[in-house]
Amino acid sequence: MIWLTWRQHRKQAFYTLLALAALAALLVPIGIAMRHTFADLGLTDCASQLARADVAQATRETCDAGYRRFGNQYGNLSLVAVLLITLPVLVGLFWGAPLVAREVEHGTHRFVWTQGVGRNRWALVKFGLVSGSALILATVYGLGMSWWVDPLTKAAHEGRFGMIVFDLQGIVPIGYTLFAVALGVFAGTVWKRMLPAMGITLAGFIGVRAAVELLARRHYQAARTQTFPIEGEGPPEVSRGDWVLAQGVRNPDGTMMAEGGRIQCPPGGQGPDGRVCGAELGLEPGAYNWQLYQPADRFWLFQSIETGIFVALAVLLLYLAVRRIRRIA
Amino acid sequence: MDMVLEADRLGKRYGSTWALRDCSLHLPAGRIAALVGPNGAGKSTLLHLAVGLLKPDAGAVRVFGRSPYGDTEGLADIGFVAQDTPLYRDFTASELVIAGGKLNKRWDATLARTRLAQLGIPPDKPVGKLSGGQRAQVALALALAKQPRLLLLDEPVASLDPLARREFLQSLMGSVAESGTTVLLSSHLLADLERVCDYLIVLNASQVQLTGAVDDLVAEHRQLVGPRHDGGVIGGVAAVVRASHTDRQSTLLVRADGPVTDPAWTVREVSLEDVVLAYLADGTTQTSHSEWGVAA
Repeated sequence: MIWLTWRQHRKQAFYTLLALAALAALLVPIGIAMRHTFADLGLTDCASQLARADVAQATRETCDAGYRRFGNQYGNLSLVAVLLITLPVLVGLFWGAPLVAREVEHGTHRFVWTQGVGRNRWALVKFGLVSGSALILATVYGLGMSWWVDPLTKAAHEGRFGMIVFDLQGIVPIGYTLFAVALGVFAGTVWKRMLPAMGITLAGFIGVRAAVELLARRHYQAARTQTFPIEGEGPPEVSRGDWVLAQGVRNPDGTMMAEGGRIQCPPGGQGPDGRVCGAELGLEPGAYNWQLYQPADRFWLFQSIETGIFVALAVLLLYLAVRRIRRIA
Repeated sequence: MDMVLEADRLGKRYGSTWALRDCSLHLPAGRIAALVGPNGAGKSTLLHLAVGLLKPDAGAVRVFGRSPYGDTEGLADIGFVAQDTPLYRDFTASELVIAGGKLNKRWDATLARTRLAQLGIPPDKPVGKLSGGQRAQVALALALAKQPRLLLLDEPVASLDPLARREFLQSLMGSVAESGTTVLLSSHLLADLERVCDYLIVLNASQVQLTGAVDDLVAEHRQLVGPRHDGGVIGGVAAVVRASHTDRQSTLLVRADGPVTDPAWTVREVSLEDVVLAYLADGTTQTSHSEWGVAA
């Protein structure tokens, strides 16, 4: 069975590795260049320095300026990152969807399922080997991406919680890839033709990913709130690396006065007409900036939860696929 | 007599349509049986039920006394060649022999290789590039290498030219003659199988119309020609299978249970094909008439 799986998929495996190598050849030089720039701009220690409470005003300004310059130079790479998050679904399309659909389309399932091993064993070995390969592939991809995207995330306000970069690094690619493969396999057992199976896989993957990302992810843990005074020296404090879900300015009684906004005035500062800071917004004395956020140190917790969701979906889909295979003749 | 394949009121439904219904038959060991019926009669469904690809919706099917659906161990005893002889087209014949060895506990690779060598099939050419006849031979060699006690072949010669058909059937007969393997081959044309089979199952409109040993079937059917017949009892006739009438004369194909002595009838022997055609003509048209909403 292992021999058969290898013989059937060796060409595919070869092309996959080739594509991965080409991708590495393209991204590794960019990654190295990015790191050099990052060090040259003196940003290496910024993260740890900014995290300290007694950070000097001057350090903060240098770091912010450096981050901005870095962002200007490499910010466009975020578009590349968008392309990179499509890779797991490609594995689902080209490895998962044809696994059963191709056999049924060519009628070879009637050959292989009537041999002595039987179709349950066939399904277990095939699904196991393909999922295992996908797991290795996704781990390599996840580690590589974590390395590559690291300077970009450090320079970005939201850090590793950013919309695209969260999906790119760590262990979530494993969940996505396994889910894509399982979805492809399952779609193949339902539609039994390669093209429809691939189409359904693509649509299903995008749908589930979007739903989890936009609706579910922010609720993995109860969000925290934080308040900042509206009067202060220097540039406003930012909670770098936190995932800000909502922010605004509130009056002392809690009413939201400026949703999505944030203000800061110098101490005792007054408007042109002599009114106090924020009076034109209807702010009363004691108003404060407010934000709802997921703290940066929940990154791995969120990664684990999201990976868990997709791995669980993958297991469920593979189980359903094994059950469906028993009804295909 | 040992029964290899038994079906008891077997039925399989796709949606609301029965592909096979109330199918009861027995296939004794050592027979070469032809499963004949028009396209869509349920032949493939019956074979898929027998090899365990399908689960019956009604009744039961037993192969060597076991229910084949989900029975992996039983698969070792059944060789199956599906319609259009599906094989991995990018595999070479010799790779397929290796694959078969990996997929089966009992596997005679030497037998497969010897057969393929005798047939002059190139070992290292992808089977997708072989001719239809050669591919069918590869599929047969793979099925025989399992050393099955029952060999099921679904329309094995349908896509072959007449010469390849004859060669295929000859080589099949040659190899099963010694081993005593029971064979069930399906075809929509009796002519393909008439020379090789000694047992016959006629399937039409998802039901078994006729089953039995070829010799018995030929022996017990007669053609009677005589004056126009109004449906009365004729001595020695168990059932009228098919009747056709002109103004003054009737031609009947009957199943006889004794000599027909009435001098009004001229009795003729029939060929197997006459019998099969008589049974196939019966029972095909009622459903379509009602479906079209016209009188039969």
